[in-house]
Amino acid sequence: MLRIENLSVSYGAIQALNDVSLEVPPGRVTAVIGANGAGKSTLMRTLAGLEKPQSGQVIFNGEVISGRKPEDIVRMGIALVPEGRSTISELSVEDNLKLGGMWRSHAQRNASLTRVYSLFPILKERHHMGADTLSGGERQQLAIGRALMTGPQLLLLDEPSLGLAPLIVTQILELVALMARDSGLAVLLVEQNATVALRIARTGVVLNLGEVAGSGTSAELLASEELRHIYLGTGS
Amino acid sequence: MSMKIPESIRELPGAFFLRNAIIVSAVAGVFLLINTQLEPTYSFYLAQAAMYATAMFGMVILVGLSGQVSLGNGALMAVGAYTFAITSMNWQTVPILGLPWNAVWSVVTAGLVGVIAGLLIGGLGARLSGPYLAGLTLGIAVGLPSIIYRFPSFLGGEDGFALRVPFPPGGYAAQDGGEVSAADAAAEEMSNEGFEDFLAEAGGDSSEILEFDQEELATGETPLVEDEVLEFDQDELSLEQESTPDLVQDVDGESPPAEISESEDSFVDLVDESAGVIDLTGFVIEQWQASLAVVMAAIVGFIALNLIRGNQGRIWKAVRDDPVAASLVGLSPQSNKVSAFVISGFFAALAGAVMAQIFAYVGPALFGLTLSLSLLVGVILGGRSSLVGAMVGAAFIVVLPKAMETFAQQLGWEDRVADNLPNLVYGLLVVLVVLVLPAGLVGSLMVAIRRRTQR
Amino acid sequence: MTFFDHLLGGIASGSVIALMAIALVLVWRSTRVVNFAQVGQAMFTTFLALAVYRGTGNWLISLIAAILAGAILGLIVHFLVMRPVRRQDGSGAIIATFGVLIALQASASMIWGVDPQAYPPIVDIIGFEAFGRTWPFSRYDVLVLGVTVLLVLLLSVVFTRTSLGLRMRASAFNPTVARLSGVRVSQMLALGWALAGSIGAIAGVLIAPTFSVTPYSFDILLILAFTVAVIGGLDSLVGAVAFGIGTGLVLSLVSGYSDSGNASIVALVLLALNLLLKPEGVFAHHHSRSV
Ligand SMILES: Nc1ncnc2c1ncn2[C@@H]1O[C@H](COP(=O)(O)OP(=O)(O)OP(=O)(O)O)[C@@H](O)[C@H]1O
Ligand SMILES: [Mg+2]
Repeated sequence: MLRIENLSVSYGAIQALNDVSLEVPPGRVTAVIGANGAGKSTLMRTLAGLEKPQSGQVIFNGEVISGRKPEDIVRMGIALVPEGRSTISELSVEDNLKLGGMWRSHAQRNASLTRVYSLFPILKERHHMGADTLSGGERQQLAIGRALMTGPQLLLLDEPSLGLAPLIVTQILELVALMARDSGLAVLLVEQNATVALRIARTGVVLNLGEVAGSGTSAELLASEELRHIYLGTGS
Repeated sequence: MSMKIPESIRELPGAFFLRNAIIVSAVAGVFLLINTQLEPTYSFYLAQAAMYATAMFGMVILVGLSGQVSLGNGALMAVGAYTFAITSMNWQTVPILGLPWNAVWSVVTAGLVGVIAGLLIGGLGARLSGPYLAGLTLGIAVGLPSIIYRFPSFLGGEDGFALRVPFPPGGYAAQDGGEVSAADAAAEEMSNEGFEDFLAEAGGDSSEILEFDQEELATGETPLVEDEVLEFDQDELSLEQESTPDLVQDVDGESPPAEISESEDSFVDLVDESAGVIDLTGFVIEQWQASLAVVMAAIVGFIALNLIRGNQGRIWKAVRDDPVAASLVGLSPQSNKVSAFVISGFFAALAGAVMAQIFAYVGPALFGLTLSLSLLVGVILGGRSSLVGAMVGAAFIVVLPKAMETFAQQLGWEDRVADNLPNLVYGLLVVLVVLVLPAGLVGSLMVAIRRRTQR
Repeated sequence: MTFFDHLLGGIASGSVIALMAIALVLVWRSTRVVNFAQVGQAMFTTFLALAVYRGTGNWLISLIAAILAGAILGLIVHFLVMRPVRRQDGSGAIIATFGVLIALQASASMIWGVDPQAYPPIVDIIGFEAFGRTWPFSRYDVLVLGVTVLLVLLLSVVFTRTSLGLRMRASAFNPTVARLSGVRVSQMLALGWALAGSIGAIAGVLIAPTFSVTPYSFDILLILAFTVAVIGGLDSLVGAVAFGIGTGLVLSLVSGYSDSGNASIVALVLLALNLLLKPEGVFAHHHSRSV
């Protein structure tokens, strides 16, 4: 579904991603793990079109998407929930949701809205309130809801657990796993907490200093020396 | 072979000041020398350029180093010019501290009042960022003429003051003798016919804008629907233009509404006509004015150089680039923004005092928004953070109109086009420089040279 | 003239100030730039409209010409100057707007000269007669007020009730999230500039009959509109309208009881007081910005 080939991204002199290649299959969750500054967010932002790659390419459903604008990429079916609170606090909850996927037909958008409200009932309850009145966890739900409103085939989640209570994290991640299984949605999930991420994901990739340090099934990665190295700070 | 100076000596503050003093005196010396060889007209351009440069050194510190875009420096020049005018008129005969240097005392007073004005505006502006400060100072620039109109007796109202400037030993040529100096004649001319008329017009414009007095409108005093009124106006005005064809020359490098520039042009033309009046010391008046302006620019340039290259320059830049980080290391962003304003107020006021002397006149028409815009334009063109850039910018705003005028004459363009060509060029150049060479002409050149030498 | 008369006389001028302030607000909301060239653009389109009026003799056509020209001029400034300049520090953008202002004023002086010109009002500018006296409120004032109210209502509806408005607001508040949601943000910003240009143009044509039009006579309007926009918080259309009309009333009172030359001083004092007393109000975004 999504193929990343030899992708390199840099911020001036800082090489954030170096020759990264990986594949994201449909219908399941793929985890991306790695220490702070490993380049996880950079990978996600590049896939969504917010950063331009230095070299390499990204192919989605047979089309090269690297270098395109974010507003075009989201139309092709890739939705990013960026790191942090990516809601617009000046708008109401419902307006935040309605913002997603405005190019789609009225019927499609209504269907998506109903689905989001059934997934996150709290959003329906608060639909007329300002997004700034939501709690952190509710806001994260809103951010995911906004992404789902665009009708994605691939959902990019950048640390949805940041600053959330473990219970909510589990809830959200389980919902994500459910969506992947039921609707064929591909999910690329960035997580600091490797154990949690690998419990949800079927496969995973380890990033270290901008390079792929390892990949495999969750079970393999959890048992891997590589991973231990990186998290113990003795890595490469 | 470069001499090896021991660290201990290099670090002495004295060496630092000495080097700066040598640089500044060398530059000023060259200009003073050139001045003795110049035609009066060109001396007068030099005087104006030096006057603008004096004010722009303050803009370099304020806009360049401290990052505050201000349109209030024309108003600060007005403060200096008016202080100089009022004190020098009233202190003609009284020696101060036993010294009869009345004009010198007036200049010093002008500078001090400029410091206070800078403190006031800077204090108001220190809490404001970018567009808010620009807007506030813009308001000051636009509102200033109205403030001057409020005080007809103290500040001379719309007419302003014509000055007899007592600067060169013995005064400007023949103040009591038969001959009338160019400056005096110009001032006379300005405060008599023509000048008043257009001032009344210009003043009327700004004050009538918000006048929605329906009774007046009903009586037809304000231009109304009738096309006749309009045509009549145009006829009258074009008649006026025909009768004074020599007044439409643009020389002064400022960019005021054309009525204002016309009157200043007429002043410069008069200077041209009576050029060559010899002072007691053998100098032509314009040469005196130029030397005066250059010396003032040198004094101010020396202060600016020490500040910019010294510790304070680094502090201003640090506060500009990252106020939060600066305050974490104990530098107060607010007080360092105010200090930049105070310094630029001081410089602008001194420039204003020089302006009063080289024009021998102060009046609200000199200090409109256009003056502040010219200062900004000059500094941006030359290079926001460079004193040399300010000098180039000052030369630019004096020379460009002259060059454009010649250019337009050769192409046989109408006066209306020719008169406004410099402003159009300024505007486009400012946009272009901001887009393409954000460091200005001189700044970009220096960056390029540095790159080349490093290779 | 009574106190009430002075108040009445300030409504129309306040409306025009409000419109100009709205133009500033629209640009600020879309690109976080205070467009100091806005009033220059309005001056230029007013001259264009005057030329059209002289050619056609039709006031409405001249107004439409101004609206179109305002949009085009706004787009030109946006694409040629402000978009390329956006990567630089804040001073660069501010200075560029002044460059545009200078260039526009010079071009207008070249094309139309600096002599004051009269712009004809479409309807009676002489006050209504009622109860045996003339009131300082004319058909023209009614027109100005009506157009302002209509425009403000229209803008509010567009911003709060339409999907276009939602996209524009989202682009202003958080361009990144808007782009990730599929909004073509650059189009929304351009639209903001075009809309501001048109509204400024309407303000220019509306105020033109009440004073002599020269390339420099709009400067004072710039100060007033800026003052109003800043007091209103720069982000709020409602604030711009309320403070705009309020300022018109205050200026009318000041002009009535002292003289009109004090108008710019009053504006300056208002601005300084506001910036001094509530700088946090200027920067803070606590207040609701739904409109
Ligand atoms: N806008 C930027 N400008 C310059 N460098 C950046 C920028 N964004 C990220 N970097 C650098 O790129 C590298 C990768 O950053 P990235 O945000 O992708 O890491 P991450 O894996 O998401 O880390 P974290 O787990 O802390 O979110 C880091 O060294 C970071 O400092
Ligand atoms: Mg990250």
